[in-house]
Amino acid sequence: MFLKEYLSDIYHATKSLLTGMKRTGYYFVHPKEIITEQYPDNRETLKMADRFRGEVIMPHDANNEHACTGCTACELACPNATIKIITKFDVTPEGKKKKALDTFVYHLELCTMCNLCVEACPTDAIKMGQNFEHSVYDRSMLLKKLNKPGSKIREGVE
Amino acid sequence: MFSLQGITSGIQSFLHARFSASGVLIFESLIVILLATTLFALLGLVLVWMERKVAAQMQIRLGPNRVGPMGIFQTSADTLKLILKEGLTPDGADKLLFNLAPFVVMVVAMLLLAPIAFAKGFQVWDINIGVLYITAVSSLSVIGILMAGWASNNKYSLLGAMRSGAQIVSYELSAGLSILTIVVLTGSLQLGDIINAQQNGWWLFKGHIPVIIAFVIFIIAATAETNRAPFDMAEAESELTAGFHTEYSGMKFALFFLAEYINIFIVCAIAATLFLGGWMPLHIGNWQGFNHLMDYIPSSIWFFAKTFALIFLIMWFRWTFPRLRVDQLLNLEWKYLLPISLFNLLLVTVIAILGWHF
Amino acid sequence: MTASQIIFYAISAFILGAGLLSVTSTKIFRAAIWLLFSLVGIAGLYFWMQVEFVAAVQIVVYVGGIVVLIIFSIFLTQESGKKMPKPSARKTVFSVLSALFGFGFTYNLISKYGFPIGNTKPFTVAVSDIGTQMLSTTNYGYILPFEVVSMLLLASMIGCIVIAMKTPEQKPGEPKQIKVTNNEDAPAPTVVVIPSVPEPLIIAEV
Repeated sequence: MFLKEYLSDIYHATKSLLTGMKRTGYYFVHPKEIITEQYPDNRETLKMADRFRGEVIMPHDANNEHACTGCTACELACPNATIKIITKFDVTPEGKKKKALDTFVYHLELCTMCNLCVEACPTDAIKMGQNFEHSVYDRSMLLKKLNKPGSKIREGVE
Repeated sequence: MFSLQGITSGIQSFLHARFSASGVLIFESLIVILLATTLFALLGLVLVWMERKVAAQMQIRLGPNRVGPMGIFQTSADTLKLILKEGLTPDGADKLLFNLAPFVVMVVAMLLLAPIAFAKGFQVWDINIGVLYITAVSSLSVIGILMAGWASNNKYSLLGAMRSGAQIVSYELSAGLSILTIVVLTGSLQLGDIINAQQNGWWLFKGHIPVIIAFVIFIIAATAETNRAPFDMAEAESELTAGFHTEYSGMKFALFFLAEYINIFIVCAIAATLFLGGWMPLHIGNWQGFNHLMDYIPSSIWFFAKTFALIFLIMWFRWTFPRLRVDQLLNLEWKYLLPISLFNLLLVTVIAILGWHF
Repeated sequence: MTASQIIFYAISAFILGAGLLSVTSTKIFRAAIWLLFSLVGIAGLYFWMQVEFVAAVQIVVYVGGIVVLIIFSIFLTQESGKKMPKPSARKTVFSVLSALFGFGFTYNLISKYGFPIGNTKPFTVAVSDIGTQMLSTTNYGYILPFEVVSMLLLASMIGCIVIAMKTPEQKPGEPKQIKVTNNEDAPAPTVVVIPSVPEPLIIAEV
């Protein structure tokens, strides 16, 4: 019936509009819900989300050891040539030659934080860090070496 | 009790004692011009700040908070910036009309201010056809928008102006019809009479459900007539960049921006006057004690409180509802609001004739 | 000269100036805007005469209605921004002559009327009186013209709706009958039966 449809149209429209207004009205009278972060005023207490990707880092343990075998899987996975792995040959105590990481070169200025290198890594040697304050005065300062000087591969990582 | 009526009549008698009739007219006009301009500037600053704060709170943000405490000087800083900016006139624009349009919009807003009663006995012109005057003059605002849209020589502007024209022309009907319900109940077009008729209760409470329906329709139509979201097809940022004022910059843009907020204030003031009794304090029938208590609050505070409550309501609409499409807009007016308000007017007439209202 | 007289002359000069610009402008949109200002000026003159009702109606009908309609039709026409060609000399001469004739005719009428001097009785008509007179059935009441005009408006509105109305949509599954005229020399419209298609395929309606 036409009139019934017409009236129910009006009723449902009003109801849905009021539902929307209830939500925004709730936010208006509840200032505690505000999610704005007043950076840099709250720099000390700033808590980034876990999934935030700021840069690629390579964690080192207390003995200055990392887990990178120098397999270049991350370099191959990177879509825009951000990572360059330079390898060397270590001599094991048995006298064998073994491929190992010499320098992990990371171009922060090229990185899009796509996370593909972290996913490609077979030994979980790299992960995404949460630091986002990357601005510097010279572009060359964005070229980073991720493995710390004097570090070596952790025992048992193949 | 604090009253503005004493001040106005004091000035009147002071001037009459010293000058001829023409001199009094000139002096009073100057005072009115000064007051109106000050009110416009203050309203612009306050309403823009209020809008930004309300928007922020509703979107779980903080809003302006850097310039002054709670960011209250943010709008002053913005105004300063707009004054200092260059007012560009695009090549190929109709220069005269392009520069005239913001002033037309502004003058219309100023004209609408004339019959509004800000407090008891504080009114520029209690014209005897007040309501008709308001509907007539508010129909002029579309001219400024059409001028701006056409003279800019820009397709966005022209489309925005066309949309705005179609919108204002159609929503004027239901706004006019819902105003008429109050005219029918009061039996007068004069705003002073309409306010005095609400001595024993506001029309919104006295007039039963039909007046509430008329009030809702008036608020919807007023939102549409001021080109505000959800009816902001005329400027629709995501479709037309800025609609009819795409090409404007600097102070000329500021005038359009200011006129938008002044128009909101005016339509809300009219809604407050017609449905909520203007400066009339909250009176309930014959409760003498209660009525007397309410009279202690100055009438100007009542007026501004009601108006700002309605402005808040319209801002609430803007930050809640998504924009309508043009066809939806016209459907809403011609298929829903207009038939309902026609039927509603009939109902109110029956109520008024049979004396069913309080 | 009192302030009131100054205002009168200012408004009159505004009306005449805007009217002159409206006639002489070569851009059609500007002409419409000057016409608008002229009409607003006339409304201002009514306000000056303190016949507010007529002034408000002047604004509603002429400015809010007719000029907006004119502007809309200008928007919808092609090349509304172009300058119009200068009218030919013959046209100009005849226009000036007709304007002069109109002026002389009106002036003659006004000068013959002989306004009574000193009759400055205030002229106030309440709006409610206008309303009562409009719907009055007694002598000098305007109920008949009022109703006739309402019927005319109603007829034109119904006409508009009929023109704008869409043909009722056919239910899916039913074959569609669409009349097609091939060209002018076809003696009668041929009726083609097309099996149902999702979109309406109207070629021409007869």
